[in-house]
Amino acid sequence: MYEFKLPDPGEGLLEAEIVSWKVAVGDKVEVNDILLEIETAKSLVELPSPYGGTVLAVLVGEGDLVDVGTPIIRIGDPSEVPDGTTATMPDDGTPSAAVSGAVSEPSPVSPASAAEAPVSGSVQDSRGEPVDPEAPMAMLVGYGAKPGAVARRARKRGAAMATPETDQVHESYDTDRPVSRPIDDVAPLHRVEAAPSGETLPPPGQPTGAGESPRPPLAKPPVRRVARDLGVDLTTITGTGPGGLITHEDVIAAASGARLDDRPGVDQRVALRGVRREMFKTMTASLNVPQATAWVEVDVTGTVDLLATLRDRREFHGLRVSPLLIVAKAACLAIARNPEINSSFDEAREEIVIRGDVNLGIAAATPRGLIVPNIKRANRMGLRELAEALNQMVDLAKQGKAQPADFANGSFTITNVGVFGIDAGTPIMNPGEAAILCVGTVVRRPWVVTRDGEEQVEPCSVCTLALTFDHRLVDGETGSKFLADVAAILADPGLALLF
Amino acid sequence: MATMTMVKALNAGLRRALAADPKVLLAGEDIGNLGGVFRVTEGLKAEFGGDRVIDTPLAESGIVGTSLGMALGGYRPVVEIQFDGFVFPATNQILTQVARLYHRSHGRLNVPMVIRLPFGGGIGAIEHHSESPEAYFAHTPGLKVVSCSTPSDAYWMIQQAIASPDPVVFFEPKRRYHERGEVDLDATPMPLHQARVVKQGKDATVLCWGAMVRPCVEAAIVAAEEGKDLEVIDLRTISPLDDDTILTSVAKTGRAVVVHEAMGTAGIGAEIAARIQERCFYALQAPVLRVTGYDMPCPPNRAEADFLPDLDRVLDAVDRSLAY
Amino acid sequence: MAADFVQLLDPAGNRVDHPDFSYDGTDADIAASLRDMVLTRRFDAEATALQRKGELGLWPPSLGQEAAQVGSAKAARLTDQIVPSYREHGVAWVRGIDPLALLGAFRGSGMIDYDSRASRFHLYSWVIGAHLLTAVGMGMALQRDGLVGEDVADGAAVITYFGDGATSQGDVNEAFVFAASYGAPVVFFCQNNQWAISEPIALQSKIPLYRRAAGFGFPGVRVDGNDVLACEAVARWALDRARRGEGPTLIEAYTYRMGAHTTSDDPTKYRHNEELDAWRAKDPIERVKAYLLGSGAIDQRWLDELASESDAFAEKLRAGCVALPEPDLAEWWDRVYAETPAALLAQRDDYLAYRASFEEA
Repeated sequence: MYEFKLPDPGEGLLEAEIVSWKVAVGDKVEVNDILLEIETAKSLVELPSPYGGTVLAVLVGEGDLVDVGTPIIRIGDPSEVPDGTTATMPDDGTPSAAVSGAVSEPSPVSPASAAEAPVSGSVQDSRGEPVDPEAPMAMLVGYGAKPGAVARRARKRGAAMATPETDQVHESYDTDRPVSRPIDDVAPLHRVEAAPSGETLPPPGQPTGAGESPRPPLAKPPVRRVARDLGVDLTTITGTGPGGLITHEDVIAAASGARLDDRPGVDQRVALRGVRREMFKTMTASLNVPQATAWVEVDVTGTVDLLATLRDRREFHGLRVSPLLIVAKAACLAIARNPEINSSFDEAREEIVIRGDVNLGIAAATPRGLIVPNIKRANRMGLRELAEALNQMVDLAKQGKAQPADFANGSFTITNVGVFGIDAGTPIMNPGEAAILCVGTVVRRPWVVTRDGEEQVEPCSVCTLALTFDHRLVDGETGSKFLADVAAILADPGLALLF
Repeated sequence: MATMTMVKALNAGLRRALAADPKVLLAGEDIGNLGGVFRVTEGLKAEFGGDRVIDTPLAESGIVGTSLGMALGGYRPVVEIQFDGFVFPATNQILTQVARLYHRSHGRLNVPMVIRLPFGGGIGAIEHHSESPEAYFAHTPGLKVVSCSTPSDAYWMIQQAIASPDPVVFFEPKRRYHERGEVDLDATPMPLHQARVVKQGKDATVLCWGAMVRPCVEAAIVAAEEGKDLEVIDLRTISPLDDDTILTSVAKTGRAVVVHEAMGTAGIGAEIAARIQERCFYALQAPVLRVTGYDMPCPPNRAEADFLPDLDRVLDAVDRSLAY
Repeated sequence: MAADFVQLLDPAGNRVDHPDFSYDGTDADIAASLRDMVLTRRFDAEATALQRKGELGLWPPSLGQEAAQVGSAKAARLTDQIVPSYREHGVAWVRGIDPLALLGAFRGSGMIDYDSRASRFHLYSWVIGAHLLTAVGMGMALQRDGLVGEDVADGAAVITYFGDGATSQGDVNEAFVFAASYGAPVVFFCQNNQWAISEPIALQSKIPLYRRAAGFGFPGVRVDGNDVLACEAVARWALDRARRGEGPTLIEAYTYRMGAHTTSDDPTKYRHNEELDAWRAKDPIERVKAYLLGSGAIDQRWLDELASESDAFAEKLRAGCVALPEPDLAEWWDRVYAETPAALLAQRDDYLAYRASFEEA
């Protein structure tokens, strides 16, 4: 037995009126015999029979308004029971379900249309009456949708929901993979900046560990804004959200970490990233180097006086002039006399390389951490040139604009703990160099001076210098002599003429 | 208050416009004697005469071009393009002339013309009869682009479009032509270029127009059963977009899903997503997602159900958005 | 040339002489044409019925135009290129296109799924008139292939089909311009079936269509479009001209659209039954039947066998139509470009994953 459903006779029609039946129950029909006439929104249409057989049942009456897809007639063998117990769709060439017309639509005819809403944002029902926002479902009926009449198709368990696409972004940031990938393969979500983003790359020649570069922090836009407003650096936070996502709470916790609270202290976890990670690595590496430290206290009155003189001089106008400048100059002069201080070890050839020039590293404290850019060929610079180079170097470092080249190839480093008000320290060497000089703060101390053959105690400006050196490359004598030379120049800058 | 199909609503709106202003005229293929292949203009020639309801030769470019001339001659033509896919012979006239005359003339010549296009799929049609070409026109300065989703909007928006001093491309979702709705024939309509919040919600904003409004509303109903509170906005105006309504909503919900039948690449959804991320960046909890036709010409219509966005695809996107 | 109405077989089935054209085939050839027309009409009737049963979304009937289509198609050699519009089911039949491929396009189970290169029967197209430019271009290619000219042994040409409404489209007129300018080997075969949906020919043109050709600078001939002998003779003459390098011709086959524009159309809204009755009296199949019965070339038994063949053909069509495979959207990403960009393949993969995520796959 075949059941014929009302087809869509003309491109998107939803219903038709049964105008007249041309057959009755019991009639024999052949394929293409006209069964009935219907009226649609467009026209009067005769419908031919898809089947041959006997009319078993006529399911709708003349004058009925019938939806497309409704069964209208059953045709088959006279012996069949005409009330639907037989399968409706045998698969021997009978028509498939009427497809033309409504595409996966639920029962289409329903009171529809919401009217106008005079104010955007407020909601009206289909008659223009304002709708109680607590009961929004009622008015949705106006759009032809009946609650309960539609449902979503069942999905399999664990149906993959697309995860955030951040993996692609990280692929494109890996620096140990070749950059030349076809553009189509990676959806670039970030503009690649020509200027460094503030995270410095490790100096070339340094082992970079496993070769991973730091991931940009993951945070949604609203979290970023909060971080920005609170002055929290996202790179210093470990996110507690999925995949390391930094949450709003993470930012708040980081920001309020310094505030006094009567809540119990919350452990803060700081991921090793960027500059901090580099410092960790270089310091660990320097454990392999046998380091000895010597120190000396110097009366730097002469230096202080010299600085006052320099500041008045025209060629130093606009430049920052500090004890560090004199120390830097003194170190370069002293290196000329004690060249092993400015050396490195070529492990492959087992040779000590005494460097031809001084690439003077200045350890700088920045918001991102400790970095050591160096001034190339500082030994060849006059005092003014050196002052300029120092100023520039310090500014670039503070702004995070130092280039990778600036960190490469240092030969000697000065670290200034004096800016923190610290007397002295035992500095740790920059790997690849032979020595590092630590300069303390200039303090007023009681000092024994000789006046007219008489010893007296006077307040003097005193500074402590400490030199840590690689005892494989520099022996105690060399180290001490170097330190003494620097001290001599600081005590009496005129002695620089001897160097 | 009357209940009528969208076809009848358009018919009533056109009738009212023709009656109110003797300068309004209709031009198109088969619109007079036949009343249009969808019967939108049924009875209008009998009532207003063949000079005002014009059966034209079979030439879309000719229809639009000559209607432009009539507009400059003081008339207000309403052009019917028989199917979306047949607007392309007319695009030269639309893009180079209709859209530009106001600009070219230093603001002296305006073109109060409406170009009506039945658009979209879902009716089991052959090639060229299921297109969604809104983006080509939205990309063209000088044209306004709108789309009704209900009989009530159809009734009012067609009159407003005819009254507009600017040329309006008027998209009618043919899939909804025969669906009924209530029309208040005496109401004060909302402005033409304003979006409507169909349903308020707080979890995500769903943006749609034309035939897609209904599946989005149905998706919101199902989502509510799952405890998700969607806000559904019928954009109504594609060019200009109602930025206020869109951005206010997304700033509130933090999530947006745009739904349109047209291909995703370079579609209207892309423009909406760009604006949202530019102006609601810090409110966004998830990227703006788009549920669209795939980037291919419309497939054979028996594969259409997979191609066109439907309730399941809308909810899939909502779920993905909420997963961020 | 008496070009305003070429007829070689009148509606009653009598042979008619014409000063410029003659039909040189045998009665057996004419019987073959009758069979082609009968089967074309049957194909068309079944397709119309299939639409009414919901198996096709749409069908544009060729009812009444069988002579114009079968006759002209017979004049085309297999090496000639044919560029149809969307109603040339009779041409497709003569050309050997599988009818199911046409049904599939209107059913929506595929786009236009036959090998148009092998058959030289181009794809059906629905944008009115746009394909005439294609046809002229194909003619221009043939010229460059050296297949057109007086001394070319096996020349080739193009014949393209369109209706009276199409002649208003800009593309059609541009095609005339190009064809004339280059002397392209194109036969423009216009079936003036009097109606473009609801618009009568008088709205499209103020003069008989065949006379437009003169304005463009090439010959135009009007032929009785319900006379299969005249259609074949005139088409043959025009194609020979084109192959010899003598340029384009416009043939206006004056016929009638006995059915609706498509199954979505209701002609009762704009046409009168008297018009249909008048044209029914000029039926293309009846006159050929009358002639062949009269000449004794066929008899009732021949007709009965043809009717059986027609019934069997119809049954195969009906069964074949509902058995057409459903299209799989996943196959269509590869059919946008010859070289599919990676982004499209990724989109397809996303779709497949999405599709597989449902329980009832």
